[in-house]
Amino acid sequence: MTGTRRTNPTEITRDSLQPRVVWLEKDLEQLVTRFLRRKEDELARLRQALSGADFETIRKLGHDLKGAGEGFGFPELSILGAKFELAARAADAELIAVHITTMERYLKRLQVRFD
Amino acid sequence: MRIAILEDDISQTELLSHWLQLAGHNAHAFEQGANLLRALERESFDALLLDWNVPDLSGVEVLKRVRQRLHSSVPVLFVTGRNREDDVVTALREGADDYMIKPVRRLELLARLEALSRRGRHGPEQAEVIELDVFKVDCQTRTVLRNSKQVDLTAKDFDLSVLFLRNVGRLLSRGHIRETVWGPNAVVTSRTLDTHVSRIRNKLGLTPEFGWRLAAVYRYGYRLEHLDAVNAQRAVHSDPKAAA
Repeated sequence: MTGTRRTNPTEITRDSLQPRVVWLEKDLEQLVTRFLRRKEDELARLRQALSGADFETIRKLGHDLKGAGEGFGFPELSILGAKFELAARAADAELIAVHITTMERYLKRLQVRFD
Repeated sequence: MRIAILEDDISQTELLSHWLQLAGHNAHAFEQGANLLRALERESFDALLLDWNVPDLSGVEVLKRVRQRLHSSVPVLFVTGRNREDDVVTALREGADDYMIKPVRRLELLARLEALSRRGRHGPEQAEVIELDVFKVDCQTRTVLRNSKQVDLTAKDFDLSVLFLRNVGRLLSRGHIRETVWGPNAVVTSRTLDTHVSRIRNKLGLTPEFGWRLAAVYRYGYRLEHLDAVNAQRAVHSDPKAAA
């Protein structure tokens, strides 16, 4: 029995299907739209890096996600970025796969509204 | 303020630039340390925001060169994800003025920048009324008095005068002057800028016989100097135009 409990990435809970609505200022609309599009692209880069065991790329992408997520209004992405960074430093492929799934789900559930 | 950002994450750069622009600052982004250093050789900034991990030269390496080779005391704020105590200590010991760990918050970042700007200035940076030697400048009524007499200035000449009087002793690049006085997107020729500088030099008496020198620095910009009595006399004797 290990002390660390890992989330099962295939587990579908009631919460994981709920939309995550985030309200942001109207003047951020273009910036945020570009930011989220980049994060979608980065999911593919993360998967590719994982398949090639390129932990340095994963660490860097996680580091940048940690730095920018909260500023754009998505603290969950900053937390996830920090987790990517840690898992990449530990070369923990299994945990990185979990984080990729979490990020993918988060982005799918996300509904950003501007006012 | 005119602020240079060293940051290689495009999202972070866009966000920081957006925040700074909303607060009325002009942001200039650099992805690589070497590019920022090259810019610093020909341009002046009011503050630098440095990330640590960027391609080629790290932020801390850029900082060392800014302080040691360029002898610049420009305020430097580190904005980085590196959160270890020894990182913070290293940056501060190398000459950083402040250190923020990402993710940063908008209002805190702006407040820290303003604080750095206040600390870095020995002159009347944000004052509404500037009183300096024979000058009294009221930024609200946009008037300049010299020896209690109003000087007739155009709007641009007024802005230029305020910029120099708020930055006495500081070398300002042409880009910095253009951007502050005419705005970030204005196209202004060197000749136009030189004409305005020459005009305020004459109208305000910014010449050695009056204890001032508004000096051109070749291929860089201008610096307004307040001369003490001895230097003023020396300058008058060594400058035939001033003596004339």
